[in-house]
Order: sequence, then structure tokens, then C-alpha cells
Amino acid sequence: MTTRPGKRITAMALALASGIAAGDVVPEFNPASGLTSWHVQGQGFDIKLVQLLPDFVRAVLASRGLSSDVIDAVSSYCAFGTIVRNRTAAALSYDVADWRYVTHDGVAHRGKTKAEWVREWRARGIAFRWIVLPEAQTFEVGDWGQGFTTVKLPPGTHFDLHYSWTQGGETHRTVIKDMQCASEEIEN
Amino acid sequence: MHLKKLKINIILMLALVLLNGAAAAEPELSNRLTPLQPPLMAPDFTLEDMDGKPHALHDYRGNWVLVNFWATWCPPCRKEMPSLERLYQAFHDRPFRVLAVNQWEDADLVFSYMGELNVFPDFPILFDSHSQVSQAYGVHGLPTSFIIDPQGRIAYRAVGGREFDHPDVMRLIRELLER
Repeated sequence: MTTRPGKRITAMALALASGIAAGDVVPEFNPASGLTSWHVQGQGFDIKLVQLLPDFVRAVLASRGLSSDVIDAVSSYCAFGTIVRNRTAAALSYDVADWRYVTHDGVAHRGKTKAEWVREWRARGIAFRWIVLPEAQTFEVGDWGQGFTTVKLPPGTHFDLHYSWTQGGETHRTVIKDMQCASEEIEN
Repeated sequence: MHLKKLKINIILMLALVLLNGAAAAEPELSNRLTPLQPPLMAPDFTLEDMDGKPHALHDYRGNWVLVNFWATWCPPCRKEMPSLERLYQAFHDRPFRVLAVNQWEDADLVFSYMGELNVFPDFPILFDSHSQVSQAYGVHGLPTSFIIDPQGRIAYRAVGGREFDHPDVMRLIRELLER
């Protein structure tokens, strides 16, 4: 994987300028996959988001035997493989419902949470619910998790991710500038 | 139709390779388990193993039991599974048991996955086909593991993948067995 230093510096500078705590934001472009990931570490709550192609989402769901209407519904969302981890010496919690995807027109979009997906799927008799990141969790020391995070944005959309977590009654807020949904297909 | 399925399979294989590559760059598995104070009674369950033989949790009373919720498609589950087998092998002649509770998959799929491992796990693989047991345990994500004490109470919990044969985990299990 290669790192694009210019993009990294820009993201950090913008995050600092916003007055919101900035972690060590490391966008990585993988030339093999054509996909980008963003990794924020150094704040205790590590988060890594990896672009997911709509075709990948379709393939994962199809391999689980899900019906075409579910596959079409989920793959129409902008999705990221998301890994979150508690690197501190105390419990912390997060709630995806509090996170916002702010597009460059200034509109704040709310992601679709696991609870919302499960409600929708259960109505169609679908029990499979493990692929989406749990919307709210308390992580004890060393705990971590992963899963899809989703937001209803078109492929290729640029946005700033405003996310937060809570520890000891204090809420920490961070922004990752200029993230981008995966394109419909890999760009060469 | 076959072409469409083939395309999906190719994309899935490619994507899994890419995602596994990303996962490989991730920090290693954790090695800490969180004690529950006070311990909670573990929900009892009876699930079938790969041969259709039922296993009831209450039949394991008197042992420390590590219950691991997992699935074959879950990268950290796959990553921690060999270390779980090594942990089991280190203590299987003591009152320590492992139950790996698979989520929403069938025996054929799990059997083929186990064939990919260097060592076929000796502990029972159980099937929680409708995720009812994992729900009873309040599992939100995979993998999640619990250590149940000889009285049937949840003593420790670990959310996310663990390196089960890490010296810290081995020391903890040794200490529990000496209580």
C-alpha cells in the first residue's frame, strides 16, 4: 500500500483548523484494489474505514443467500468496512447514530444503523445481521469490532465524517476530512 | 445465470483477498479479557455439533468453559481460531473446555473451512442457526467470547478477536484452574 502524504497533511490540517480534535489521520490508497482507506489512531479510539465497492457488497450478501431485493437495497448505499478499537486503559462507548456524513454542500447525512437494517430485514424474515457494525457499543479495555457502516450517498460522493465516542462522561469529537464513497467500479 | 453467479464469486474472492490484506495491516489481536463483577449466570443452551450430537451448557458444570461466537466469513474469527485450538490443547486435560458457537451457517460450509486450517479443532463446533443463543448472551458483533466458571456464571468477556494462546491469556486460564 502507498500513502499519499499530501492528502494526509491536508486532512490533518483541516481537522485541526476545524477546532475538533484531530487524530493521526492516515488515508491510504491501495493501487492494487483502487480503493482508499482512512485510519485514525492516537486518540485511544482507533477507527479505520475502508471503501467498499457496491459489487463487493452485492457479492457478500449474495454469498449469504439473501434475496435480490435486499441485495439491491443495501448495495445502493455508500458502504465502508469499519474497524473500531479501544486502545485506552478504560471503557469507552460509541454510537453510530450520532455520527454525521457532511457533504460538500454542507448537508449533514445520518448513516443507516444496524438496528434500522435489522428492523427492515426482519420484516422480510431475514435473520442475518452480523455484517453491519453494531450501532452502539461499550468497549472494555482491548475490545474491538468491525462491520459495514452505511450511508445513503451516491458512489464517488465526497464528505467529511464527524464521529464521536464517550469515555468517563466526556464526549470526544473528531472529523475526518474529504472522505469519499467508492465508485461504482474500480477506476484504473 | 451461471455467468452472473461466477461473476459474483470472482468479485467476492477478489474482495476477500483485498479485505484480508487490509485486516493483515491491522494491529494484532488483543490479549485481554474483561472480568465481570459480579459474574452473571450464563444463559443455558443446547445446540448440536457437526455430527448432530446435542451439547447442553449445563452438562459442562464443574469446568471452566470458553464459549466463542464466530462465523467463517468473519476475518478476526478466522484469525483467532488456530490460537483457540492451541489454548484448548494446552489445557484440555484439565477442567477446561471450549465451545465454538457458529452463527447462521451450516455444517458443510464450516467443515470445508475447518479443512483449510492446519489442525482440525478438537473442541465442539456448535450451530446457533438462528442466532438465538448469541442474542441471549447479548452478542452485538463477531467474534465475542465468554469464559464461564464452574458454577455456570459468566466470569470474563472479550469483544473482538483475541490471541488466545498469548502468554497473558494462558496465565489467566492457568490461574483460574488453580482456584
